[in-house]
Amino acid sequence: MANLLWLQGGACSGNTMSFLNAEEPSACDLVTDFGINVLWHPSLGMELGDNLQQMLRDCISGKIKLDIFVFEGSVVQAPDGTGEWNRFAGRAMKDWVQELSDVSDFVVALGDCATWGGIPATAPNPSESVGLQFLKRDHGGFLGKGFKSKAGLPVINIPGCPAHPDWVTQILVGVATGHAGDVALDEFQRPKTFFQSFTQTGCTRNMHFAYKVSATEFGQRKGCLFYDLGCRGPMTHSPCNRILWNRQSSKTRAGMPCMGCTEPEFPFFDLAPGTVFKTQTVMGVPKDLPEGVDKKGYIKLTGAAKTAAPQWAEEDMFVV
Amino acid sequence: MTGAVQTLDISPVGRVEGDLDVRVDIQDGVVTNAWTSAELFRGFEIILRDKDPQAGLVVTPRACGICGASHLTCAAWALDTAWQTEVPRNAIIARNLGQLAESLQSLPRHHYGLFMIDMCNKNYRNSPFYEEAVKRWAPFTGTHYEHGVTISGRPVEIYALFGGQWPHSSYMVPGGVMCSPTLSDITRSWSILEHFRTNWIEPMWLGCSMERYEEIETYDDFMAWLNEKPEHANSDLGLMWRMGMDVGLDKYGAGLEKFVSWGYLPDEDRYQRPTIDSRNGAMMMPSGVYDASTGTHKLMEQGFAREDTSHAWYDEPGGPVHPYDRTTQPVAKNDGDFDGKYSWSTAVLHADNGHLEAGPLAREMVYGGSHMEGWQHRDGLVLDMHRKMGGSNVLLRHFARMHEFKYIYRHIERCLRNFRLDEPFYVKPKEQDGRGWGATEAIRGALCHWIDVKDGKIQNYQIISPTTWNVGPRSDEQERGPIEEALVGTPIADPADPVEVGHVARSYDSCLVCTVHAHDAKTGKELARFKTA
Repeated sequence: MANLLWLQGGACSGNTMSFLNAEEPSACDLVTDFGINVLWHPSLGMELGDNLQQMLRDCISGKIKLDIFVFEGSVVQAPDGTGEWNRFAGRAMKDWVQELSDVSDFVVALGDCATWGGIPATAPNPSESVGLQFLKRDHGGFLGKGFKSKAGLPVINIPGCPAHPDWVTQILVGVATGHAGDVALDEFQRPKTFFQSFTQTGCTRNMHFAYKVSATEFGQRKGCLFYDLGCRGPMTHSPCNRILWNRQSSKTRAGMPCMGCTEPEFPFFDLAPGTVFKTQTVMGVPKDLPEGVDKKGYIKLTGAAKTAAPQWAEEDMFVV
Repeated sequence: MTGAVQTLDISPVGRVEGDLDVRVDIQDGVVTNAWTSAELFRGFEIILRDKDPQAGLVVTPRACGICGASHLTCAAWALDTAWQTEVPRNAIIARNLGQLAESLQSLPRHHYGLFMIDMCNKNYRNSPFYEEAVKRWAPFTGTHYEHGVTISGRPVEIYALFGGQWPHSSYMVPGGVMCSPTLSDITRSWSILEHFRTNWIEPMWLGCSMERYEEIETYDDFMAWLNEKPEHANSDLGLMWRMGMDVGLDKYGAGLEKFVSWGYLPDEDRYQRPTIDSRNGAMMMPSGVYDASTGTHKLMEQGFAREDTSHAWYDEPGGPVHPYDRTTQPVAKNDGDFDGKYSWSTAVLHADNGHLEAGPLAREMVYGGSHMEGWQHRDGLVLDMHRKMGGSNVLLRHFARMHEFKYIYRHIERCLRNFRLDEPFYVKPKEQDGRGWGATEAIRGALCHWIDVKDGKIQNYQIISPTTWNVGPRSDEQERGPIEEALVGTPIADPADPVEVGHVARSYDSCLVCTVHAHDAKTGKELARFKTA
């Protein structure tokens, strides 16, 4: 039986909503089949007020063993580092986060906000938001570079805006069933099993990417979204086209450019004018190239692709 | 009233999506006064300033992961009206479908996950329905809890077929939508919808066919339905109603008895050239304001919206101003002063009617009127129940929410029928400067966005969410906010576990993560003013 506590800081509940979409296992299966005891969750917990405050204090004192602490949302530090703009259970949320992280066996940052600050940390970051152990690409965040949970691991980061429910449930089951050691993390402390491949891996528009056939506008029945519409699929690590969303689809399959939401820089370019749903180019070449490809290689590759492109690639493919 | 006044500070009131603190004064076991404080501030509107005009399509769904499609709907229509786009008929349908799928998902999710688990509270152990309630509705382990929470994920599979994923897609864009669905997307959506009906709506929620439920037009019809068959009485709806009456959920939580809805779901043939002024005449679900004290209905327009910061943590002149005229100035320290400022939420008001309640109950009260055009939606059931029950209460407010599955379901069917897959889903717009306004009805109620695009970037972005209407503090005229008012008169059986306060707050299905008013922590920089032309 693993005790799990879930709190939200500068959050939108998107990761909670995503988690509730889980199917195998479902949120309820986690509790009934895998022995996870949810001490409290802001959307699901029974207790309110003083009773909850007592439970939190019991976790901190060790009276209740805290195995897994899941945090959703950014750590709000405004104004001036006090955290008073996000008060919870009678005090600044950030103070609860610090004390609970210190006593928990495992700490999980769920979603972009908890991982790197996410949307609330977008310039000018009015709420002085940070992630648990990162702010964007900078290692440190709220708990500091050297933080290790009681089991000796850094914060386990499950990014995404939101994170896919499977990414959450598989990791929680792994940790709860004593397989935490099998969870290999990458340099951003993301589980490699999900974040080694690219969003483009398995995209239904890969053939169009290969022959450089572009979707020049939304709503077209063919074409790759990378060349004109700002898709970040080739530069983004996620399994969105391997483990589909809501059992059905993914952004790119539905004609929406990937926005790179599992990467620290999301939202990219701080949403400056001219950057939303438009590929940023320098002299006609995309500013951000597929990971590991240099400009010279890219120009050669696309030149060859254009030359080799068959007629069918130019015609509608996703027809009624 | 003879007893001493006991003041109770409840922090947090959970299961309201966000950080809500409530202070209540209790005398002789009854709440005599109440204050609601929104305790989280992220500053979305300030993040949006000076950004790409389309940034709202990315940022605002993240204001609320529960109503993301509703924010996206507002953000898209706001840009459409600012850029004077053409929105093709297929795109209007695809947007409505997304809004509807999200709303349908929310019904069982809120009902089982957030609302019904309180029926398992020890306070109700003497109710004859208690044992069955625990069996069905206990968190995680209740037989219907598990089924209801899990099946709530199905409707948003439809959303994913058109938008890629739920939550947090940005598939609605000025000029239409990004997707170009195929026939199998439509047939699969039908099958998901059918599954939801045959596995939850009919067997578990109603204990009868949807068609039988749709025959209910009055309170008497409803009671006749309830007593018609054991299947009805023992369905989740039947048991909710009977237990709710037994434990007195019909006895408190009235509120202000004044209601607002923006109306929503534009007709695909009436809003292809969207403007702010033509919106009311294009919505299938009509807008309105209903004042129960006078029994009068009227249409709602964005020009009547006001925000008042007298009791909110902003350093602005008190008194109601239109959102266009807000200058968002923070107070230096957000200390709770219950005579002064005590919430991040402003008091949202109607210029003539003061505070109004938003939400499904508000919508249903509006639909009971006769102020709408003949082709627009009308349904008098909840208004009739309201009159027969002697006003609003916790049970009726929650009933109104669940009642909406009826038209949400039929409208999804209509969307799936009306697509013409060989016609466009997107017409590329011309980007330009201008002011826009987009609105919808999130499942929680009235939601709208104002945008001002200048020199190719966002000069000002303002959001008023349903929770800001409901959870707002007192107005400059000291009128309590809707939830504050609804708490007055609430009986508290056990001050150590004031579950009744939770009932009232949750009957409004508050979502505090939406109350996103912004300023810059460091500089206190003023938001640009809207110039009303």
